[in-house]
Amino acid sequence: MNGPETAPGTPGTAQAPRPSPRRPRWGHLSEPRVLFPLLSVLLLGVLWTATVGLMRQEYANSRAAAIAATQKITETYEAQIVRSLREIDRTLGAVAYAYSLRGSRLALPELNGRGLLLPPFLFTISITDRDGNLIASTRDDQTGNVADADYFQAQQGGTVLAAGLPIPDAQGSGQVLSFSRRLEEPDGGFAGVAVVSVDASYFVSGYEPTAMGEQGFLGLLGHDGIFRVTRSGEAITSGTRVSYDQVVSQGSDDLDMTPVTLAVNPWDGVRRYTAARALFEFPLAVVVGLSADEQLIPARTQARRYWQRSAAASVALLGVMALLGRLSWQLQQSRQREAQEQIEHAKRVEYMAHHDNLTGLPNRGFFSELLNQSLAAAKRYQHELAVLFLDLDRFKLINDTLGHDAGDDLLKQVATRLSSAVRESDVVSRLGGDEFVVLLPEQCDEASLIAVAQRILEAVGKPYVLAGNEFRVTVSIGISRYPDDAEDEQSLLKNADIAMYRAKESGRNNFQIYRAETDALSLERLNLEAALRLALERQEFSVYYQDQLDLGSGEVTGMEALLRWRHPQLGLVLPRQFLPLAEETGLILPIGKWVMETVCRDCVAQQPSEDRRVTRIVNLSARQLADDHLLRDLSDILRRTGIDPSLLEVGITEEVLLKDMPRVVEILADIRALGVRVAIDNFGASYSSLSTLRQFRFDTVNIDRSVIRDAAHSAEDRRLTEATIAMGKRLAFTVVAEGVETEEQATFLRAASCDKAQGFLFGHPQPREQLPV
Amino acid sequence: MSTWPRRFATVLLLALGSATAAADVVVVVSPENPLSSLTRRQVADIFLGKSQRFPDGRSAVPLDQAAGSAAQAQFYQLVSDKRATEIKAYWAKMIFTGRGQPPAAVGDDAQMKQALAADPNAIGYLDQQAVDASVKVLSVSE
Repeated sequence: MNGPETAPGTPGTAQAPRPSPRRPRWGHLSEPRVLFPLLSVLLLGVLWTATVGLMRQEYANSRAAAIAATQKITETYEAQIVRSLREIDRTLGAVAYAYSLRGSRLALPELNGRGLLLPPFLFTISITDRDGNLIASTRDDQTGNVADADYFQAQQGGTVLAAGLPIPDAQGSGQVLSFSRRLEEPDGGFAGVAVVSVDASYFVSGYEPTAMGEQGFLGLLGHDGIFRVTRSGEAITSGTRVSYDQVVSQGSDDLDMTPVTLAVNPWDGVRRYTAARALFEFPLAVVVGLSADEQLIPARTQARRYWQRSAAASVALLGVMALLGRLSWQLQQSRQREAQEQIEHAKRVEYMAHHDNLTGLPNRGFFSELLNQSLAAAKRYQHELAVLFLDLDRFKLINDTLGHDAGDDLLKQVATRLSSAVRESDVVSRLGGDEFVVLLPEQCDEASLIAVAQRILEAVGKPYVLAGNEFRVTVSIGISRYPDDAEDEQSLLKNADIAMYRAKESGRNNFQIYRAETDALSLERLNLEAALRLALERQEFSVYYQDQLDLGSGEVTGMEALLRWRHPQLGLVLPRQFLPLAEETGLILPIGKWVMETVCRDCVAQQPSEDRRVTRIVNLSARQLADDHLLRDLSDILRRTGIDPSLLEVGITEEVLLKDMPRVVEILADIRALGVRVAIDNFGASYSSLSTLRQFRFDTVNIDRSVIRDAAHSAEDRRLTEATIAMGKRLAFTVVAEGVETEEQATFLRAASCDKAQGFLFGHPQPREQLPV
Repeated sequence: MSTWPRRFATVLLLALGSATAAADVVVVVSPENPLSSLTRRQVADIFLGKSQRFPDGRSAVPLDQAAGSAAQAQFYQLVSDKRATEIKAYWAKMIFTGRGQPPAAVGDDAQMKQALAADPNAIGYLDQQAVDASVKVLSVSE
């Protein structure tokens, strides 16, 4: 029935559609938490690959540029050195020539006068004799002997230019390089040397710091492995000794291309792009170097710039990605929330469609669904089930007296109690109003049915606190079973309803199981209320009258009006069959008015004669007595019908009198003030306190039929009856015995001084048409 | 005519703001030279080989005093703010790289005067005490 997948009270159909667990193969890539990191990694990869590539390219370009610059500087330097040496050589040649023509004293002034000497500003030109004595010079301070000098000794046997080793200059602040050529006697013998001396720094004055930096290198190296002069930045040195073959690679001499090597220079430990070229005409080589560190500075700077830009771009990229990722994630979250809310809304709507707002129990529609499911299961698995139809007793009264809020509160409490009184698998539903229905889907033998019903009666019957007061409410239960009592949903419910009515009739606060034989006959009772409502307009009611006799004279002095309902299908329906319902539904009020008016009209119409007065007696119910309009209606009727009020007597039961004493005392006084007589009915049935009843003013006391019946039994009972009659006498002028059926009773009553009597002995109730006029 | 060269020498000294107790040099040209004044910069350019002409377009032939002489050191200090070693390094580089030759040098003030007399385009410098009618002192402005 409502099996494991649906708990009672929850709709089994409100399952949210789950998203399909299957995704496209690469679907998870579109998830923000995957997509954005992945994208970031890809972009960063591209960015850094490009950056590293650019940095490498920058370094490569820089290296190529350094090599090219080294080559170019080497070529320039070589050309400058060669030109300088040639000038020196030419000058020495000129000196030798002049010497041979004019002799040592005149040679130099002659040449100087013709502008054929190197500028004396930098160069000193001297002449020695064959012993090394300086005998002429462009500078006055040049005296002494240079016989020990290498450039002097070299010329004793040689004819080519000799380049001497550096010698400290006179100031000691620098080095001087001297170049010499042989001077000959006219016979070809050694006559001395011509010398050109110049600051060693002259040969490195082509150093351009802007092109070569602080760590560049220019050097003039002799074949002897001694640097005549070197310059690096501003530092100029001479005499450094290296391995010539190591510095100048012999095999790689090339007219066009100077090989450039990147190496740590052994003379000062600086790493340079280095090139060296041997001079063809002179025993010297030029060495040029560009510092690797310095040459790569622009590349490093550029690389650092690339690196910084890439780093900044990476940070920005990550920032943007993080932002986008977060936004996307939030969007996704809000979409999910929205979808979730829609699902929950749908669930709520569905729940509301299936459940009663007030109690949260399944409503009629949903119950019908569940019952049908259960019936289908019961049919298939061939088991029984039962439906309990519940109706709260006198709920309308509570609703009317305590208000709807209290009524709602009661219904909620009842719902809770019902749910806890049955098993989890059972279904409790509210059909509407104060009607509940319980489905026992796996029922069941009669014993357990009875147990369940009794549990429910007990649970519902416990006191309730409503609007601050304690109340008791009972319930009437009708039960029908599948397949014994009915086989379909409608019949099951209808039969349970019929059984419930029987429970109501049986005094409420009990349960009845459907009995096909008897209950089928009273099917129509289901429509009793509707029929009752229609009965007035269809004029199905009529009034019967039962005579009341004066025991002394035997004359009819009064007639009690009795309501009869002739239903077109049911025939005559007795008051006790429909009055409780009329009372409960409030229909008693219009019916009562109609009775009152009818009786008054009959009275006026059928009054026998002026001197023979026959009182008409009408009974009032509790509901009528509680009606605010009672007095107004009554006086209206009196006026309209023109009845003599003293011919009308209203009967009120003792039970009703005591319900709301102060008010009823007042109402009865008002009724008597209209001239209408008041009778107390069923006197003696409940042995009310005489002192209490004395607060009312009655015209008549009607002794209950049970008191009269008892009078026949024993002498003791007779005395009790006599006492009751005596008590009645104390309350009113007239005492009437009800339910007199035998002559023996009549005799006893006469003896007991009872005034009047009514009963089958004197006549059955008759319709007005049969009354003697 | 004999008084105003002195005045100019004084102007030169004042203008350059430099005074040495031993000797003060003045820039001199041949009396035939119509030039009467040059800027310090124009003098320096002519002696450092940057310019071969006077402002009026005539060819200029600078004459130096002997290398290492006090007059030379003082002169270059005055016209170019350079010490003798700097001038030497400058010419070393110019000569080595083949871009120029230093001015021809004369031995002393007397030779200077001779040379100036021989060449109307010559320009030289000498101790102001050696100035006479054979030379014309140029006023040198900033």
